[in-house]
Amino acid sequence: MASSYPPPFEGTGEVKEGFLCPLCLKDLQSFYQLQEHYEEEHSGDDRHVRGQLKSLVQKAKKAKDKLLKRDGEDKPETGSYESFYYGGVDPYMWEPQELGATRNHMDFFKKHRAARIDHYVIEVNKLIIRLEKLTSFDRMNIDAGKIRAIEKSVVAWVSDSDVPFCPDCGNKFNLRNRRHHCRLCGSIMCRKCMEFVPLPLAYKLTSGTREARSVTGSQSQSQSPPTGGGGNVSGMGSRRGSISSLSSVTSMLEEKDDERIRCCLHCMDTLMKRQQKLEEKDHVPDIVKLYERLRLCMDKVDERAPEYIRMAESLNAGETTYNLDTAGGLRMEVQKYYELIDALSKKILTLGMKEEPQPHQKTLQLQRMVRYTATLFVQEKLLGLMSLPTKDKYEDLKEKRKQEQEMRLTQERLIAQVAQKRRQDSEKNRPAASTNGEAPQAPRAPRMTKAGGWLPSSDTLHTCGELEDPLLQQIDNIQSFLRQAKAAQRHDEVAMLEENLRQLQDEYDQQQTSLAIALSQRLAQEESLQQDELQRLEDREREHRAQSQAPGSQATYTWQGSLNLTDIGSLHGEEEGEEEVTPKAESSPLSMRAFPALTDQDEESPPRLRRLRGDVTPPGGEGQNSSSLNPFEEEDSTPVEDPSNPFFEEIQKEHKEVANGKKEYNPFEQEEGGEEEQGQAEGATGNPFEVKEENNEGNPFKEASGCTPPGASTNPFEGEDEEAMPDVDVIEEELLLQQIDNIRAYIFDAKLNGRLDEVELLSENLRELQRTLQEQKSKTH
Amino acid sequence: MNVTLAVKQYISKMIENSGPGMKVLLMDKETTSIVSVVYTQSEILQKEVYLFERIDSQSRDNMKHLKAICFLRPTKENVENLIQELRRPKYSVYFIYFSNVISKSEIKALAEADEQEVVAEVQEFYGDFIAVNPHLFSLNLSGVARGRSWEPTLLPRTTQGLTSVLLALKKCPMIRYQLSSDMAKRLGESVKQIITKEYELFDFRKTEVPPLLLIMDRSDDAITPLLNQWTYQAMVHELLGLNNNRIDLSRVPGISKELKEVVLSAENDEFYANNLYLNFGEIGTNIKNLMEDFQKKKPKEQQKLESISDMKAFVDNYPQFKKMSGTVSKHVTVVGELSRLVSERHLMEVSEVEQELACQNDHSSASQNVRRLLQNPRVSELDAVRLVMLYALRYERHSSSILPGLMEELNRKGVSERHRRMVTSMVEYGGKRVRGSDLINPQDAVAITKQFFKGLKGVENVYTQHAPLLQETLDQLIKGRLKDSQFPYLGPSSLRDRPQDIIVFVIGGATYEEALAVYNLNRTMPGVRIVLGGTTIHNTKSFLEEVTLTAGAGQAERVQRAGGHPNRR
Repeated sequence: MASSYPPPFEGTGEVKEGFLCPLCLKDLQSFYQLQEHYEEEHSGDDRHVRGQLKSLVQKAKKAKDKLLKRDGEDKPETGSYESFYYGGVDPYMWEPQELGATRNHMDFFKKHRAARIDHYVIEVNKLIIRLEKLTSFDRMNIDAGKIRAIEKSVVAWVSDSDVPFCPDCGNKFNLRNRRHHCRLCGSIMCRKCMEFVPLPLAYKLTSGTREARSVTGSQSQSQSPPTGGGGNVSGMGSRRGSISSLSSVTSMLEEKDDERIRCCLHCMDTLMKRQQKLEEKDHVPDIVKLYERLRLCMDKVDERAPEYIRMAESLNAGETTYNLDTAGGLRMEVQKYYELIDALSKKILTLGMKEEPQPHQKTLQLQRMVRYTATLFVQEKLLGLMSLPTKDKYEDLKEKRKQEQEMRLTQERLIAQVAQKRRQDSEKNRPAASTNGEAPQAPRAPRMTKAGGWLPSSDTLHTCGELEDPLLQQIDNIQSFLRQAKAAQRHDEVAMLEENLRQLQDEYDQQQTSLAIALSQRLAQEESLQQDELQRLEDREREHRAQSQAPGSQATYTWQGSLNLTDIGSLHGEEEGEEEVTPKAESSPLSMRAFPALTDQDEESPPRLRRLRGDVTPPGGEGQNSSSLNPFEEEDSTPVEDPSNPFFEEIQKEHKEVANGKKEYNPFEQEEGGEEEQGQAEGATGNPFEVKEENNEGNPFKEASGCTPPGASTNPFEGEDEEAMPDVDVIEEELLLQQIDNIRAYIFDAKLNGRLDEVELLSENLRELQRTLQEQKSKTH
Repeated sequence: MNVTLAVKQYISKMIENSGPGMKVLLMDKETTSIVSVVYTQSEILQKEVYLFERIDSQSRDNMKHLKAICFLRPTKENVENLIQELRRPKYSVYFIYFSNVISKSEIKALAEADEQEVVAEVQEFYGDFIAVNPHLFSLNLSGVARGRSWEPTLLPRTTQGLTSVLLALKKCPMIRYQLSSDMAKRLGESVKQIITKEYELFDFRKTEVPPLLLIMDRSDDAITPLLNQWTYQAMVHELLGLNNNRIDLSRVPGISKELKEVVLSAENDEFYANNLYLNFGEIGTNIKNLMEDFQKKKPKEQQKLESISDMKAFVDNYPQFKKMSGTVSKHVTVVGELSRLVSERHLMEVSEVEQELACQNDHSSASQNVRRLLQNPRVSELDAVRLVMLYALRYERHSSSILPGLMEELNRKGVSERHRRMVTSMVEYGGKRVRGSDLINPQDAVAITKQFFKGLKGVENVYTQHAPLLQETLDQLIKGRLKDSQFPYLGPSSLRDRPQDIIVFVIGGATYEEALAVYNLNRTMPGVRIVLGGTTIHNTKSFLEEVTLTAGAGQAERVQRAGGHPNRR
């Protein structure tokens, strides 16, 4: 049964009118607004792929509209038309305007800043270079006079006589208030206005330039000075005294001059700024790190939540466009993000609270605000997350929906059936022979025979299908676009495309139905003359059909039986190999494994084919099938039922395998025909996979000598069992996990609303669930 | 033409420009009001702006992980503060926006202070006005007049505000001004000068019909601000005082802590938006409905949440519920306080007489009623004074004026000297001598019959008969009948077509009654958009202060002149 039918159109009664944007159907209040909107939103569209997509979508929509003569624009109306009622416009409804006038001064600003910055940078660099020169020699081991000489060579000192007063504080220099020179700029100041650059700071400041200068040469050197210098400072302190006594000029004050560099206020200021900048460059406060993560989570939620809501809506409506598990996973993901947001913002809130000097009031305020915003965000977004139907409920929903669709279909079918029966009967003369002939081959490809039998009708159908090709092509195209968009993570486009795909499919189904009806009606007309004749022959025809069907189903049965046999065979071969410790036999598991895989594929292929057709085959075709009373149809219809649920199928498959394995376990234990089957096992050694298998399994001899069942020698069924068994558990586990997740979400909600008693109750529940989960886990492992 | 949107767009653009990351908004006193009127805190928090600071605040900490968005008026102090800030930057990057035109020299000074290259943007965003409603702006300036001329510092400020409105709306208008007011002419010229000087700024796409700026003077209609109001917004302002869309309810007896100051913003409060222009009676009904709605939803809260599905259902309703409960308690409190004041001050009776004074032409009945109310001890001082003022303005030159007798009544009632003096100040401010338009003219037969019919039908609310002069003026303007002799064009050119986009500016302050009139004109006149602005938005109290300031200064001037002292200004 082809894909979903259009949902009941709610609110098709509201037909939109007024100023609608032709592209996005957005309702705009006035012509100006529309024009502006169009210019803003869609002007660039043609250039983008998106634009192309949109036009494609438009074409599809147009085609649809033409075919269905129906408007798809059933979005809820936005805005009110009140604004029009007196002829004037309510100021609240005035059309949006562009951003007001602005003027940018940045160029002018930059021009002036550049000049200033150059000056500043030169200044700083000059100081740094001088500082580097002053620290480049070992100050500890050179006597003060030499130091003084070097210092003077770095920068010319202002002569004492030129400066009678301290330029900073204005005090007169005399014997008591002595002059001091800044080692960095050479200027003079008094003792009070004097600053010192400690050597470690100097090293730190100059490390950058030093590294830059000696890129390759002395990297190790550049690293050693700070520590070396520091060590020297403490080591040399005492020795310095005797040296200082040698120098004639040095006063008591200059005693410790080798541990630091004397400079003026201004140079110090510049250096401190520089140092601050250096520090800030590498320092990223915790709050920033946490905040970045917080934003990341918020972005993820913004991205994922709409997707989830779309899924949940579709699932709750019983549609099969999405998979319940995927939606559940997405829900969990989104909820996890919410929890993360909550946790992160809480962490931000309490940052630095325990530290002794409490952070600045503003810092605390910032943290509070971030937390508040996060809470608002969660409150607003989390509450919009609707719940998913449970698995059972979903099945119910699907069933309901399917029934609804079938109700419609059966009605159509009834009409078709009458006509088709007549048609079949009319062709009875020819088929009567051909069905018999084809019957033996039937099981493999029942469809083919059927098609052959009713060639004309199916042919017409086929041509019809080709006539509708544009629509199918469009579906195809959109599907591929969808894939691309999904890969490119463009969620909005994905949404748009999905919507369109659904619409197209709905429409296609409808088209097919109507075609089938039309066709059958035509046929009915054509053959109404032959009707009487045919009725007489009808009984015979039925007999033939019964004959052809019986062998068909038998054949399938035996075929499956033989499959089992081969399985058993290879199994035994494997068992034997184990016992005989031969590499040949070792390979048999593979062959066996390969076999089921192949057979699985075979088994699977009809439904898969069917599924493919399910998408493409018109319901009309299905109608035919049903009229033919083919027993295969029922078999087929089950997989078609949930084509979108591959997981379900897999589970089924796995169950089947488990069953198979168990069934075949008995012969294995009996160990009866090991030798008999050896031939088969040897035959299987020809399997090209063998080598690979050997490689994978490692040394076969070793395993054999070990003779331990749990190793590689474990027969594949056991392995399969292990795989399959947990799978059953996994489902339960998943349910448990989901429940745990739900409860977590409720706890979160309750916490937000401050309902502490509920929180307690819920967390108890949560613990219980987790315990069960743990037990489950321990059991399975 | 939406002034609220204009400011909003400016601010969101500023925030957008600064990119992602935590942000602080640095403002001065005035821009704080400008921003807070259009944005709520939670709205702006969503844009990652977490702190709001004053540029002149000393308690700011170093926070290098924040980006600073500076939105400042281009005043000397602000520039000086900003220079200090840039010398020792507290934040990592600075995005600087001035709300008006700034001089090159000041930019240069800033550039030279930016040694650490922290400035990423310097722009002018012309949001230099307070956008109260989409069609109403204010400059929050009071006492703009000194006698009959401008307070010197406020003319440039008003010019800045008005030009910023023009720039924000992208309008380069033709200017008409009220001939009887010298201040209107001065302001018009000043605006024109700016338009000429900054011609490249005002180079907008030409529209078929150029926009129009109409400058009026409050003194032309001193009656409107003296009347009690009965529509929600106007009433709240008259009785409680709306300041940047906030009301201070701290004086309300038994008020809860979170309702001490409430925000009334049509942007976020659906109930307020719907009831802004409805009268008190209608609001009463609506608030009752709101309460009932609330009560219907309320039991859910008390309902024991037994199962998870119960809880879920509650949680699903929660956001609406919470929002609603906030709205309900706010409006119930406000309306409750309004009705308390109405009954306490006998405002129904007072207002009826006010309306009679303003709209009818029956001297004997009016004088009787005024006298009767003055003798009522429950009538407050303010209301008594306002009645006398209305009488004085209305029957200024009436042959049998009983004004001296009324003044005597006021005296007997114990009304303060200050208030009594205000009556004369008011006549001086808005009396016949200064009026350019016929605010009160013996109504022609048509108008009288119209009134009569209205009275017969009983449709017209007796408390809201009065229509402000502005309404009539604008009506004439739109119909192209406004006389050039009263409102001449500035400059040689004049508008031949009917105007489409109109900006009205009232020197000395507009009122919410006028805002309502403009709102209604907007809704009823096809193809016309009108924005109203004023140096401030008045209620009676603030208007009396304005008049006192104006008259006081005027008297001082006269005294000085009489004494032969050189004029200070």
